[in-house]
Amino acid sequence: MSAVNPKLLAVIRREYLQQVRSKAFWISTILIPTLGLGFIFLQVALSKSLIAKGKIGVVDLTGRLYQPLLAEYAARGDDDEDAAKKAEEARDEEGRRNRSLSTKIDFFKVDATAATLPDVRRKLNDDVQKERIKAYIVIPADALQKGDAEWRAQSVKSDLVMRETIASLLSRAATKERLKDQGVSPDVYDKARLKVTLDPREAKEVETPEASKNAGFNLAISGIFFFLIYISIFVYGAFIMRGVLEEKNSRIVEVIVSSVRPTHLMLGKIVGIGLVGLTQYAVWALLTLGLTLPAVVGALGLGATLPPIPTGTLVAFVVFFLLGYFLYAGLYAALAAPFNTEQEAQQFVMIPGMMLVLASTTWFFAFNSPNGMLAQVLSFIPFTSPLLMFMRISVQPPPAWQIGVSVAILLVSIWAVAWLAGRVYRVGILMYGKKPTLPEIFRWVRQAD
Amino acid sequence: MNPTIKLTGVVKRFGKFTAVDGLDLEVPAGVTFGLLGPNGAGKTTTIRMIMNITKADEGEIRVLGEPMSEALQERIGYLPEERGLYRKMKVIDQILFFASIKGVDRKTAMERLERWIDSMDLRPWLQKKTEELSKGMQQKVQFLGTIVHDPPVLILDEPFSGLDPLNVVLLKDFLTEFKRQGKTVVFSTHVMEQAERLCDRIALIYRGKKLLDGTVKEIKHAYRDRVPLPPPVEPEPELEKIFIKAVEESGLSAPTAEALR
Repeated sequence: MSAVNPKLLAVIRREYLQQVRSKAFWISTILIPTLGLGFIFLQVALSKSLIAKGKIGVVDLTGRLYQPLLAEYAARGDDDEDAAKKAEEARDEEGRRNRSLSTKIDFFKVDATAATLPDVRRKLNDDVQKERIKAYIVIPADALQKGDAEWRAQSVKSDLVMRETIASLLSRAATKERLKDQGVSPDVYDKARLKVTLDPREAKEVETPEASKNAGFNLAISGIFFFLIYISIFVYGAFIMRGVLEEKNSRIVEVIVSSVRPTHLMLGKIVGIGLVGLTQYAVWALLTLGLTLPAVVGALGLGATLPPIPTGTLVAFVVFFLLGYFLYAGLYAALAAPFNTEQEAQQFVMIPGMMLVLASTTWFFAFNSPNGMLAQVLSFIPFTSPLLMFMRISVQPPPAWQIGVSVAILLVSIWAVAWLAGRVYRVGILMYGKKPTLPEIFRWVRQAD
Repeated sequence: MNPTIKLTGVVKRFGKFTAVDGLDLEVPAGVTFGLLGPNGAGKTTTIRMIMNITKADEGEIRVLGEPMSEALQERIGYLPEERGLYRKMKVIDQILFFASIKGVDRKTAMERLERWIDSMDLRPWLQKKTEELSKGMQQKVQFLGTIVHDPPVLILDEPFSGLDPLNVVLLKDFLTEFKRQGKTVVFSTHVMEQAERLCDRIALIYRGKKLLDGTVKEIKHAYRDRVPLPPPVEPEPELEKIFIKAVEESGLSAPTAEALR
């Protein structure tokens, strides 16, 4: 192919300009990051609402744990000035978690003996059901030996954070009591406790300190880009479907295919909308860049600038977004062409949608064990590989041959889908009226030129 | 001189149905040619095959002496029966897009448009979105899109269907003008009156086969003895002319899209 066909260029140009000039484009360009940030803020707000709050009745049949529990609760997260520096560091993370999560638990003691327990329970159950108290715990007499206690609340599923917080407070209190039984001062516990962290580094002679420092940031970037690929393919796939149906419904399509080859019309639409997607990314990238400029950071008081995004991740993102987009775009075009309305097309368009959703649900496998069996297999299957191979590359780059094979399989698949889509598209766009059946569509594919 | 369009033994089947059955057709250069026949006769299929939108199963089709190609498509103005515009596109962008897919650059297209925009009363509408236009205005835009590349050959599939009376006159005027310029025009219709008035030559097809072919004069001559002549009628003004006169005399300007909502 010497030069790009001028008619194809005309179609790309029209598609691109129409989309970029539309209000919908700018609304979505603003809305998507706003929603994304809103989602993050919502998460933060929700995690704050996870604050364990409420009255908790404590039935302590050991008679030894109620006061220590209160003491642990009061001491949670407090800077323990006396404690050794190491011990403080060890507690740091837990302390911070407790400080942010369990600030409003209101423990009260409920007296009971083994004999009165059933009556006490009846009363407390009633209190829980009538929401006079949040929950109650029963610490059996042998709790210090067996480590079992009861949590009674309205539902066994809710208040997970509160339950975990109290369990950890109780564990600490009980451990100290058990130390006393061994004749050891409970203070030793706080002094001796040491939290060990594993610092992840690649097993290479060359140290990679920067990457390990930004590990959290890099993982967040991987996740964000992963979902960007996923959402973009979905959104732009829908654009393509709607564009194809619009050309059919407005009956303009035959006017166009009298001068433009149907395959060029399809390709032009796909490329044009793909460029719209890249434009949207460019706008976002510029916005992000603008926000991280030293001057802006200073003015907004954002503190430290973000570390740079690793180049490999960025390249992989662009490459696999494009490959995935072209693969799915052909499917969307082919699946829309035979139909007259979105409703008719919907049941078929659901197929690529489901494949995408399926691919997106496996993100955690790729994230957690990028070289695991499942992640490896899925990163070669064309409909999941754009997402999975990107994830693997960004978390832990697989061998080059694997990336090469994955890209090669994708390219072949794109070609196959485009060929198939072109045939369905060419016949489909001129079919009006009756909704075609699947066998009819297969016949279009078989039909000679 | 080569005929402008030549079909030889063209066959098109859809499954078991034969839409066009061994059709031979010759359209000489510079004539206005009517492709006649009832609905479902195979007119649209024939025209689509000439435009290479649908491929013929058998036979040969040549336009301007060549098989259809992208370069050749640029020399034909084609108005399909199923036609339309991008609803959200500005009128001027729409016409320029049509020009660009016919290989005409913006500058040439703009120069050419200048001649027509005013005669079609389109100037106030150029920056409007197509969906804001009245149906009559949209028909003008569609037609302008068909001829913006100044093609020597026009192929129009049922061009009069759905046109309002004013646009019917406009289109007839254009066709007369094209004939004067020596362009070749092929149009299909099932309205015999239009064919009789506009065409030099006609072909009648029925069930995919050609029944009649020749100049209007020849055909009338051949059937003179077999078809009863109409009773002599007293000359009276045509309703179409009356319609236009009434519109002119009203002194009102053409309706705007807002007014039509």
